[in-house]
Amino acid sequence: MHRRGFAPIIVDMQMFTRHDLTLLFRSLAARMDEEQDYLAELDGEIGDADHGVAMSVGFAAAAKALSEDEAAVPMLADGMMLAARALLNEIGATTGPLYASALMRAAQALGATTEIPLARLPEVIIAMSEGIALRGASKPGDKTMIDAWAPAAHAARAGLATDRDVAHILKDAATAAAEGAKATRAMMAVKGRAARLGPRSLGHLDPGAASAAALLDSMAQWVTVRSGPASS
Amino acid sequence: MRMGGTVRSPLRFGEDPLLWAAWLYYEEGMTQGDIATRMGVSRASVNAYLADARARGIVSIEIDPDRFRALSIAQSLQDHFNLSDCLVIPSEGGGSPLVDRLGAAGAQLLTRTAQSGDTIAVTWGRTVLSMANSVRTRGLQDLRIVQATGGTTAKTSWTPEACATTLADALGARCIPISAPAIVSSPDMRRLLLREPVIAGQMEVLAEANRIILGISSLRPESTIHSSGFFDAVSAQDYANEAVGSIAGRLISATGEVVDGPLEARTIGIDLDSLGRIPCRIGVAGGMDKVQAILAALRGRLVNVMVTDADTARAILASEGRDIDAPKRAGKPAAALPERVRVKKFLNRTQDAVSETIAGAVLAHEDLLAPIEGAPRALKAVTGPRPGKVGLVIGGGSGHEPGFFGYVGAGLADAVAIGNVFAAPPPDPILAATLAADGGAGVLHIFGNFSGDVMNFEMAAEMAAARGIPVRSVITTDDIASAPVETRAARRGVAGNVFVFKIAGAACDRMLPLERCVELANRATQRCFTMGIALEPGTSLEARRPSFRIGPEEMEIGVGVHGERGIASDRLVGADEATDLIVDRILSEMAPAEGDQVALLVNSLGSTPMMELYIINRRLRQRLRARGVMAHRTLIGHYYTSLDMAGMSITAMLLDDELASLLDHPCHSPAWHHA
Repeated sequence: MHRRGFAPIIVDMQMFTRHDLTLLFRSLAARMDEEQDYLAELDGEIGDADHGVAMSVGFAAAAKALSEDEAAVPMLADGMMLAARALLNEIGATTGPLYASALMRAAQALGATTEIPLARLPEVIIAMSEGIALRGASKPGDKTMIDAWAPAAHAARAGLATDRDVAHILKDAATAAAEGAKATRAMMAVKGRAARLGPRSLGHLDPGAASAAALLDSMAQWVTVRSGPASS
Repeated sequence: MRMGGTVRSPLRFGEDPLLWAAWLYYEEGMTQGDIATRMGVSRASVNAYLADARARGIVSIEIDPDRFRALSIAQSLQDHFNLSDCLVIPSEGGGSPLVDRLGAAGAQLLTRTAQSGDTIAVTWGRTVLSMANSVRTRGLQDLRIVQATGGTTAKTSWTPEACATTLADALGARCIPISAPAIVSSPDMRRLLLREPVIAGQMEVLAEANRIILGISSLRPESTIHSSGFFDAVSAQDYANEAVGSIAGRLISATGEVVDGPLEARTIGIDLDSLGRIPCRIGVAGGMDKVQAILAALRGRLVNVMVTDADTARAILASEGRDIDAPKRAGKPAAALPERVRVKKFLNRTQDAVSETIAGAVLAHEDLLAPIEGAPRALKAVTGPRPGKVGLVIGGGSGHEPGFFGYVGAGLADAVAIGNVFAAPPPDPILAATLAADGGAGVLHIFGNFSGDVMNFEMAAEMAAARGIPVRSVITTDDIASAPVETRAARRGVAGNVFVFKIAGAACDRMLPLERCVELANRATQRCFTMGIALEPGTSLEARRPSFRIGPEEMEIGVGVHGERGIASDRLVGADEATDLIVDRILSEMAPAEGDQVALLVNSLGSTPMMELYIINRRLRQRLRARGVMAHRTLIGHYYTSLDMAGMSITAMLLDDELASLLDHPCHSPAWHHA
């Protein structure tokens, strides 16, 4: 397809479809399943050890809902809402409302369409981060999942402002999230159940930030595979 | 008794328990627990006697400051960050605030190390000013004190100017200010000012500094940096993505590198590169909120001499993955029993535990509980709702049995939403319970203060409101160990729930309007005080292992109801002392008057048997009687558990006539029945 005068033939702009949404959630669910024991162990140190199960069960439910209703729910935004509800009603707890709010916000960002350019995926990260921040009313430094999501969103915003390709932007976001999660070790929890431990929460990774970093890493890997080998 | 020698007659100490306690502690080397046994008083009393003995000068203690540097924690900090010196003071000291004690320690270090001819740069802050105030003259010659940054306009007392002049006065040194603002309006203005001969001369002195005293600030909302006037020009939010702290007026990242921003080119003062070239860089800072910032300064080697307190130092090392245990009293460690590697349970598939519990409960209490169509994780009372009666909906995670469904029935809740083990229920079952409880007079939600419960109940209330059902929420906050009294709203809601459910259930049953029910439930929660102690951890159902470890000679103080650790570990004590620990806290907050009435709940967290609860109750009543407080009603048993944790909690609710009458109102539910 020719775009402008002298431009060479460009491969079709890659699209992110409703089926991709299902595939993305399947890989997120698989990753959460892998991380379950590790997250449970982290949560056992400062919480009640249920975060691993919650993330695993919640994302499995979201992936299942997305696969089952792929034909009945063709719009991306509706798909995100479906995932949000499935996650919310499967796990409750703190993780449920936070990720449900994240996905609802992402649904708004995606809009009533059956596909978007793959290059817009960083917007999903930004929207999810905003949704979590609003529902949880947490700030960076509070030792919560926001300490992974906020730097990821920052990296996504910075990436969108350049002409980096989507796989690299998501990789940057995942790296920022991993560093953010690592930094929670030096933070004292002020929100959530760990907050009651006060100073005793220091030295421990926040499980919510650790799972967020794993989700973002999984997302980056999925996009890397999806967008094929780097052309340059 | 492990004390050697003959037992001395207490008469030798006359009527003075302070002297007696101080002798046993300092001269005989007994533990506070053993002294308590010997003197027949609580350990808390012994502790108070010892503090008084020091305050009144019966005991005076001198400590060689050099010893502090030899402490293992100071040594670890020094080794880990390759510091040239490190001073770690105890985190808790009588009366005076940490800032002042750190200041005194910093002053001591400076007085010892400063030499004639030194040029000492100084930043600003509360700790730095306190240090300047504590410095004593030592007759050094030709000292110069120079401001490390320009000035600020803030009306605080710890400005750069104040810190520098105070220190200079204390040392008899010449004071060189920086006659410019720390932050100016533009990079051009900065260039112009630095060209002014007066300021240029002052900056030259700053460049010659061979020591610098550095305060370290966090960027947390509670930090004084926000009232310092330093960053008024810019929103700290702009840096929130990278900056974790501030040192010498510069924002630094987690690795101690400067965070570049619009301020950098507008700041007059020492920059981080020049700072790094000063041979002796003394950081004086402490406090849990500053851990991230201090860690950043240490990682970036912005500081090479550190003065801090033990808790902060321990937290910094923990953040670096180095665990330094809190110092323990010397003594033979008790032999540990072999740890259980697999805890036996009467369970089928773990993931079915909650559903199977609900099924069994409905069958056991079919005269009281009924399922709600289409909502497997919600139950309603067979009796409710009644038209015109406010509906009461309670709920929370599983694992607290008989909480929460045990409190559904006549005179109590109309419906309950049930979450997974220790996890808040999602909005759907809460909404189903709300619809089932609605009698047309509005619905009251009551739940403990946990972020998950708050969010899910909040979402369900919005959904119910969209269907035209007015919902009001009361969030319980009775756990006095979980947050200080000033931040009562941050406390978690635990066993006190039982009393709040009862008061609200009775209010609803008496057909009071929604607002009155809310008011009474709130009054009940404000007057409920709970604290728990655990002896053994609970089991993680998934892993079938203890979810953490409590040492053989330890117990956890201030545990909640989710199998988690408490706020602190303490030495294991017997029933009376454990009861006293809790009662002391409860009474000091409740401050009852003589003749006041209370409702009591002595609650097992799961594995603690009735026998121990009765023993605890005996001591509880002794203490209350001594205070002139009457028990109006006592519940004792498994009322609000934490799966199989071994431990107990005591709840006391201070009654007034109205609450007492509501408490006596008849009720009939699986866990609470009286006519």
